[in-house]
Amino acid sequence: MTHRVVVAGIGSELRRDDGAGPAVVERIRRLGVPDDWALWSGPAPLDLLGLWAGCELAVVVDATHNDGEPGTIRVLEIDSASVDAGQGRAPGSTRGLNSTHGMGLVTVLQLARVVDRMPPRVVLVGIEGDDFGAGACLSPAVAGTVDEAAKKVFELARQATCMGGT
Amino acid sequence: MSHGREAERVLAVSDLARVEGEGALRIVVKEGAVEDVALRIFEPPRFFEALLRGRSYAEAPDITARICGICPVAYQMSACAAIEAACDTSVDERIVNLRRLLYCGEWIQSHALHVYLLHAPDFLGCQDALELAARDRPAVERGLSLKRTGNLIMETIGGRAVHPVNVKVGGFYRAPATEAVAALADPLRRARDEALVTVDWVSHFEFPDVEADYLFLALRGGDHYPIESGRIVSSTGIDTDAAGLAELVVEEQVERSTALHARLEGRHAYLTGPLARYMLNRDLMPEVARAAAEDAGLAPVCRNPFRSIVVRAVELVVACEEALRLVESYEPPDPPAADVVPRPGSGAGATEAPRGLLLHRYELGSDGLISSARIMPPTSQNQLTIESDLKRVVEGGLDLSDEELTWRCEQAVRNHDPCISCAAHFLDVNVERR
Repeated sequence: MTHRVVVAGIGSELRRDDGAGPAVVERIRRLGVPDDWALWSGPAPLDLLGLWAGCELAVVVDATHNDGEPGTIRVLEIDSASVDAGQGRAPGSTRGLNSTHGMGLVTVLQLARVVDRMPPRVVLVGIEGDDFGAGACLSPAVAGTVDEAAKKVFELARQATCMGGT
Repeated sequence: MSHGREAERVLAVSDLARVEGEGALRIVVKEGAVEDVALRIFEPPRFFEALLRGRSYAEAPDITARICGICPVAYQMSACAAIEAACDTSVDERIVNLRRLLYCGEWIQSHALHVYLLHAPDFLGCQDALELAARDRPAVERGLSLKRTGNLIMETIGGRAVHPVNVKVGGFYRAPATEAVAALADPLRRARDEALVTVDWVSHFEFPDVEADYLFLALRGGDHYPIESGRIVSSTGIDTDAAGLAELVVEEQVERSTALHARLEGRHAYLTGPLARYMLNRDLMPEVARAAAEDAGLAPVCRNPFRSIVVRAVELVVACEEALRLVESYEPPDPPAADVVPRPGSGAGATEAPRGLLLHRYELGSDGLISSARIMPPTSQNQLTIESDLKRVVEGGLDLSDEELTWRCEQAVRNHDPCISCAAHFLDVNVERR
């Protein structure tokens, strides 16, 4: 089945703020989405290659680790040039090839390009994390931004599907 | 990073590429001799075992599944086996078969990932899977196709491909519909063909001519190649159950790592995983897999760690063929789960994760809460053997450049498909020559 919008939350729910992406996806799931959306969360973004085939918009929600203010949300358009430059790299990773998420996001994007599965538009919604230690709960600053991040995902999808002529 | 000195060399490789998870490898070579080899694993000390204490017996499969994004089913199945042993629960054969089918999905997706995207680049002179995809796109497409079939099985049986939600102690929350399972047959026939092509593909790789005197340890199946159950046997004559193995294995804390190092009583390092399973269960392989192994020139015992990629490919055939057999004979279990009545006591369970044997042991209180948990992931059990492999590689490659030796060491680690995430959470690789 081809999905028009694919929303992915990357991370481990047992590494505290690394679970920000899955938490946002879970919030979106509870709010309800159209049938032609796919929601995915997990630690290994390689599996997104199968979901991305034929989609119009791919949104990736992930925790970031840039020494910024915890809970800060950044929205980045990931185009071919930024994939080359290594943007979209999984948080906490010092490299593209591997991360706590197995094969890192940037590698998956590069691979998607080689095998013609790169979505026409990829947007990264990054949430600055505070604590990546062992534990099941998001830190307060990150937990407080889950709703806002979910709202941004819906806005992105609405803009994209409107531009798509629905 | 290399610090050349007159009598000693220090190599520092800060990242171990193409290994699931992160960790560190430190090798010290002094005055032409290997002084120390240490695969360092950083782990919140036994975090998950501590997390499980005080939780309900019913939560063990879901909590432990989160330890690894690559082999969550292995954690679920070993947890279920251990809790059911503690509660003296036996499950219907149809539940066993459905578990095995789900587990086949995990084997297929995990082995396809390792063979094609993590391990094959080593043998083809490629830096990584991207370079391989650019040079041989059909091969990578074949690997991705196999992985998709594995994921499809996990979605159909488990509810989703990552951290399946349909597994519970005693069986499943819901039995998949007959039509949904039957729909797996065609993708699995394609996958079996792709797996056979995979065996042929990897059998033509060039392998270093090395052998190691491994002590192999694996489950031994009853009628079928072991995945979700079996006795535990070894190449030295051990024949025990999961509770027995828990007694036989000594786990030690060492200064360089927060993960425990496993040895068998008598201080022996041992190896679990494809090479061990193959040696101890070759006669239980489906005929199509055994024939593929013979065509690939695989001897009944394979002690060359580099050839583990061939064994993994043969196990892809095993998993596809087994999954197809289970799909074609599927009968929905009714009820989908056995009643489990918690009782005070202990129980152990072991299953074969794609990368090796995974043992869980739990003690339950009268309130059904877990009072203690012990988890022995395959990577922790294999760690000392991997270090022995590394020592051999370094000793045989002292005349190599730092870069070449580092690469050889990384290959030696990748041979065993370590899932550092299972045993630890962050691993950097550092090789030092002094």
